[in-house]
Amino acid sequence: MATYAEMQQIFDDIRGDFRYDHELNGCLNCGICTATCPSAQFYDYSPREIVQLLWTENVEQIYDAMQEKIWACAQCMTCAARCPFKNSPGGLVAIMREVAIKHEMQSAKDVLRPFGRVMLKLITTGNQLSPDMIQPDHFPDWGPNIQKVEGDLRVLRKAIPVKTLQTVETAWEVSLKTSVEMYTIWEMTGVLKSLELMDENLFDVIEDFIDEKREDYEDWLEEQEEDDD
Amino acid sequence: MSEHTPGNHNQSAQGAGAGTMKPGFHNTDGQGIAGHGSFFQATDLSREDAVKATDWVRKHVDRRTIDLGDRMDDVREHMYELEKDGQIIIHRIGDQHEPVGVKTLFGWEKQIPTKQLWHHKSCGQCGNIPGYPTSLLWFMNKFGFVPGKDYLDETDQTSCTAWNYHGSGIGNVESLAAVFLRNFHQAYVAGKQHGHELGHFFPLVHCGTSFGNYKEIRKYLVESAELREKVTKILGKLGRLVDGKLVIPEEIIHYSEWVHVMRDRIASELQTIDVSNIRTTAHVACHYYKMVHEDAIYDPDVLGGNRTAIITSTAKALGAQVIDYSTWYDCCGFGFRHIISEREFTRSFTMDRKIKVVREEANADVLLANDTGCVTTMDKNQWIGKAHEQDFQVPIMAEVQFAALACGADPFKIVQLQWHASPCEDLVEKMGISWSEAKKNFQAYLKEVEAGNIEYLYNPELAYGGKA
Repeated sequence: MATYAEMQQIFDDIRGDFRYDHELNGCLNCGICTATCPSAQFYDYSPREIVQLLWTENVEQIYDAMQEKIWACAQCMTCAARCPFKNSPGGLVAIMREVAIKHEMQSAKDVLRPFGRVMLKLITTGNQLSPDMIQPDHFPDWGPNIQKVEGDLRVLRKAIPVKTLQTVETAWEVSLKTSVEMYTIWEMTGVLKSLELMDENLFDVIEDFIDEKREDYEDWLEEQEEDDD
Repeated sequence: MSEHTPGNHNQSAQGAGAGTMKPGFHNTDGQGIAGHGSFFQATDLSREDAVKATDWVRKHVDRRTIDLGDRMDDVREHMYELEKDGQIIIHRIGDQHEPVGVKTLFGWEKQIPTKQLWHHKSCGQCGNIPGYPTSLLWFMNKFGFVPGKDYLDETDQTSCTAWNYHGSGIGNVESLAAVFLRNFHQAYVAGKQHGHELGHFFPLVHCGTSFGNYKEIRKYLVESAELREKVTKILGKLGRLVDGKLVIPEEIIHYSEWVHVMRDRIASELQTIDVSNIRTTAHVACHYYKMVHEDAIYDPDVLGGNRTAIITSTAKALGAQVIDYSTWYDCCGFGFRHIISEREFTRSFTMDRKIKVVREEANADVLLANDTGCVTTMDKNQWIGKAHEQDFQVPIMAEVQFAALACGADPFKIVQLQWHASPCEDLVEKMGISWSEAKKNFQAYLKEVEAGNIEYLYNPELAYGGKA
């Protein structure tokens, strides 16, 4: 359990995000956000409650809501489209999630652990998912008819008449140079640091992968220079 | 009792009085007209004058003419100021892009380029529903577009990374902005290696979440000098500035907007199959019209201008039946993280609020969508419904896939329906296309693929910067 000072700091970090004043403009308590919210139908979650807690600066209950409730939001932004005050409860939740990660909340670590596969794919390849991730073994609830033609995945992907899509481990082929540029973005914007705070093992795997890709890119550049000579 | 006593005003009106009722006046107590209160007084206008006085009620009220837009800034105006001030370069839409003008929510103009397009692919579509991009490129070829000149698909592109951000909270505005600017800088300069000017290709964003995310980020970039300063350092390090400046696109365009403005040409020039017997329903992606909602396309001739025109406009142009259903406004249940790690929510929501309703209320032959997560969610989560005695099945696909089928595209080679779990074969058969014949042909083609005889929509070398 955090001290009051720590909870106040968490709230200050939320409030300090430059988007905060965009996303929170007042609240009538009308509840139209909750009425249209898909998550409110299945979870103990209400966008109206999130807005009210922030609007009234209730730092203790904000901290409580960050343990579990904020992770219920589906980020569809229906709430934002409906709010007469032009609030964006979904946008506020996004800020709160970032802050939860910054403060290394255990609840955030627990929630994000099963999402690690997507993060690994994204950070290392620039694609969020790949054909080899969407296989019956990973999604038994999608049923036996997950595809309508049986066959080797590589051959089925080769049968897509677009060169960039004939991949198995990425959704499309991303050039090595592009990936290396993206690693620079991750580093310079603190994304790798966030990842390290959340899952040190995953971070180590990703860092090794990035180092390897950078070496590959350096080698490729040298080969190009030699060819030019 | 005075004549002006409340409740007595209409005592003298024709047809008034206890026990009498004028035809059409549902007056049950002799106290004026029911539903209007006892103070109601007839105007005694002639029929002609009454019609004249109330004509405005009958007029079509175009919601886009209401001054709601005045309360909202048009980000493009601020972009033009920043450009004038020498701070940014705007990637403009010019005549060479052959744009078509449309109206957005508040009646603002938006130009949709139809040619010289840089395909900004979607990870969910390419990885899971490849019939989206293949159908789109197939249409462009059908219109005679020249690959490498009229469109470009290449390997120098990352995902927008917003799926991860919305799912996990890992990432931030700065990283999303840097990814946006890196990809769109590449779109701006990509023409050079093919012998064209800077800005030749304009980005066409395939994914609904990329579309919503990029528009949101563009607003933040235009508003925040601090954010611009931070990302300028990053883009500078990547060699992704032009004359030391950030390149920001004049418009952000979604593929379904291209389909929308091309719909009449698709129907008149390419359609070969009558789809008037097909009952279509529409699910428009939340991130298409609920994020930065002022930028979504609305058309008074489509659904009265009360809902975004996307998808429905295409179904109408093709001559299909457009069927409404009560939960049209609901999200699909994708949830970004939920579809991966809280699937009970995703499948319950999509079954309860989408599939079941579309099946029972609309008796739809197909539910058309325009985004990645929506098609995945609604397509893949039907089988599990049986476990809860909810055996509802509806074919799910993008409107561009449906349009391609209506124009004679191969259901497997082009529309790539083999990747769908929902019963798309039912729709294909109803359209008069033999599913079994097409499947047999495709299985024979797979043998050719194994032998290295692969058919392409464009010369594969183009993807690596080679010639068309």
